[in-house]
Amino acid sequence: MEAPAVQLDQVSKVFGDRYALKNVSLELPAGSFLSIFGPNGAGKTTLLRILATLARPTSGAVTVAGINLKDDADAAREQIGLISHNSMLYADLNAEQNLQLYARLYGIENAQERVDEMLDAVELSHRRLDTVRTFSRGMTQRLAIARALLHDPQVVLLDEPYSGLDPHAVEIFDSLLEAVRENRTFVMVSHDLRKGFEACSHALVLARGTKVAFAAKEEIDYDAFAALYHETVGMGVA
Amino acid sequence: MTVRVQKPSTFAQYVTLLRKDLQREFRTRDMLSSMAIYAFLVLVVYGAALSQTGSQFDILQMSGGMLWALIVFTSLLGLNRSFSYEKEDGCLEGILLVPLDRSVVFLAKATSNFLFLLAVEIVVLPLYYFFFLTTTTPQPTWPLMLIPMLVGTIGIAGIGTLLSTITTSTRGKDVLLAVLFIPLVFPLLYACVSATTVVVAGGDIEGIFRNSVLLAVGYDLVMVLLSWVLYDYAVSA
Repeated sequence: MEAPAVQLDQVSKVFGDRYALKNVSLELPAGSFLSIFGPNGAGKTTLLRILATLARPTSGAVTVAGINLKDDADAAREQIGLISHNSMLYADLNAEQNLQLYARLYGIENAQERVDEMLDAVELSHRRLDTVRTFSRGMTQRLAIARALLHDPQVVLLDEPYSGLDPHAVEIFDSLLEAVRENRTFVMVSHDLRKGFEACSHALVLARGTKVAFAAKEEIDYDAFAALYHETVGMGVA
Repeated sequence: MTVRVQKPSTFAQYVTLLRKDLQREFRTRDMLSSMAIYAFLVLVVYGAALSQTGSQFDILQMSGGMLWALIVFTSLLGLNRSFSYEKEDGCLEGILLVPLDRSVVFLAKATSNFLFLLAVEIVVLPLYYFFFLTTTTPQPTWPLMLIPMLVGTIGIAGIGTLLSTITTSTRGKDVLLAVLFIPLVFPLLYACVSATTVVVAGGDIEGIFRNSVLLAVGYDLVMVLLSWVLYDYAVSA
């Protein structure tokens, strides 16, 4: 049996005396698309940051792509791509320089070819020499997708990727995700219940740092799920 | 397309990060120009403030200290800026997502801070000579001041890079960086001022200059190594 792409075992994260995450456990099969829902302060972004190796859990074990983050975070990082509302791009460098920077840091051997390919994929080849500062929000987000997928990660983390995008940019973003979805695992934090539910194969609801619900999509009745979600949002922050 | 990935050497990642800082600075010149303008203005103010003093001896004795006050305050300005653009749009997080040793990020940033500060000092030194040494009679040993300047700049860049990383996400980061930086850099500052003053105004070159430079080198070794070791905690906090 294939190892789960993401495995959480009793994961907690404490800031001061406040639990941002409390004993969260789950297993996500490879190739799945997990949407995480919950109100502000539910621990969604904290969970995503732990999966991205940007934060360490206070207790519990996290495995990404079969690699325990405590044992070998660097090996896991090779398999992780993160797209968030922050582009993680240097505004004063041009599009090509930004992608070249990450290609060199990851050690991509055919770097120029790969950069060209990703710029084509996100339809930014014609703006490759323009600084990111001159890009619209949608263009910046497309370049951020190219950055996140440059090293061909197996697990892609998405932190509210639609925030600030206009409908056309959302369309391009969706088609890009669809094109790269095969054989990859996605974990997405979303406030858009319908969009997140449409995209997912699994859904997780968090509230006050605890797991309220986690199930495969086929086991979920959307109306009941929406009712649970709205009830959860009403619980407010931790 | 098949993506072939061969983990680069630590040195290659260091060069890549350093090149990124240089590329960015050569494009914007915001750090270099603001540091150079600030340094020039402080020198002009010093020059005006001391223009009415009668004793040449006093100016020579003070000039070393004033030069180092200028270097420390100019470096604070640069250090604050060096991490502000890393925080902009989450760039630092993008770098931390890459499988690389966190100390490489420190070394690259400390090197770029060192180079930018050195570039400003190269501009400032002739001005310093013009304002303070042309109207006085410095000792013929004054060019030796380049040694404490080099050693001091390494220490300032090293400890300053660590502290600017720690303070960059805090409220009132400008003040906090100064509050942490100046006490920590005090032994280095003291040693460098002593060494500079001795070679400019005269004194025991064998004793004071040698011991001061050795103290500064020792400080650099300890603090840069300490910063290197602690950097992982600083960026992961």
